[in-house]
Amino acid sequence: MYEAVRVAADGRTTPRRFALTLSNAGFDGMVLRTNQSAPIDPPRESIATEYGIDVVRGIEIETDDKAVASGAIGNWRPKAEVLILNGRDPEMNRFAAESPRVDVLADPMGGDGDLNHVIARAAAENGVAIEVSLGRVLRRSGGPRVQAISNLRKLHDLIEDAGAPFVVSGTPETHLQVRGARELVAVGEKIGFSADEIETGLRTWGTIAERIRERRDPKTVVPGVTVESEKDDT
Amino acid sequence: MRHLPKHLRPRYRYLAVEVEAWPNAELDRRGFQATLWAAARSFLGDADSAALDLRVVAADFWTGGGAVIVRVRRGTVEQARAALACIDAVDGEPVRVGVRGVGGTIRATKSKYLGGPPETCTTEQVDFRGESGEAWLRKDRTDVRIDGQFVGATPEEL
Repeated sequence: MYEAVRVAADGRTTPRRFALTLSNAGFDGMVLRTNQSAPIDPPRESIATEYGIDVVRGIEIETDDKAVASGAIGNWRPKAEVLILNGRDPEMNRFAAESPRVDVLADPMGGDGDLNHVIARAAAENGVAIEVSLGRVLRRSGGPRVQAISNLRKLHDLIEDAGAPFVVSGTPETHLQVRGARELVAVGEKIGFSADEIETGLRTWGTIAERIRERRDPKTVVPGVTVESEKDDT
Repeated sequence: MRHLPKHLRPRYRYLAVEVEAWPNAELDRRGFQATLWAAARSFLGDADSAALDLRVVAADFWTGGGAVIVRVRRGTVEQARAALACIDAVDGEPVRVGVRGVGGTIRATKSKYLGGPPETCTTEQVDFRGESGEAWLRKDRTDVRIDGQFVGATPEEL
């Protein structure tokens, strides 16, 4: 299972420290979600070998301007292993769901964000995974948490109805905000998700990264067709 | 009051919980217990909290972290995990709470899932991110204080 962590050049936890914490918490991989305006690219392979977990390069696009988002998608698609577009606004949610080049629509219910069945179906058709972000459930209390939970319940029903892919994350910004997979499952179960759904959502980060890596592999001709050995016919 | 007969005594499970905080955080058992109850009441509600009967039965806190055994009624372990996951800070100090394992007796849970005392921690002046700061060094991790704020890192990054 994977967790997607926020990292930045001036962040309060370095990617290596996240790797140490996540591997102790039993995760198989981590997605480094760095903001497109100030991306960092730590040595992923050496971190992966040292801590025994897969390290995925994620780029998070955060803007409320579709033209900017469009440009950023074009720029970052070739480099990102998981391309994340932040929703938090009904228009951006729709834009992300209708962009097949985007991998994940992040936090669609955050800020002023809202989702309906049309956007959820668009996401399902375009293979854009919708993020179920448990951050506010874990770290807020009172009214804002009640609001966050009721939004997630709505999101759950929409995802189920549309059959849209989804990812789950606790969205930690420091290593102290990391929670174990079983803890995330337990929290998810209390707010209307099944244990299976939360586990699938945590695994989907890895599935997406694997799909993109496979597509980039020079041996891949078209999705599903790879060159195993080249024979000289002459 | 007389002890209940054995078949009427509640059956418990014990969760081995590790607590990590910034290296200068002073945590104690009372604060942790109060936070745990508050987290359970706020996330699960009064009725479920009572059903869980959460209790800190053993605790060992040191500067910057701790190890705790939490007792819950059998059959409510997953709810207890959820309540523990919702603990974000103890006495204003941000903490990471992780369940290392679950056992049937205090002694077995402690010896199986919670290690001995914390590793030794030394401090020294270091250069980090182009600035000079004070680092709290442990074997596999370090926390560097720059401008009054801690940054979690590993010794290789100094």
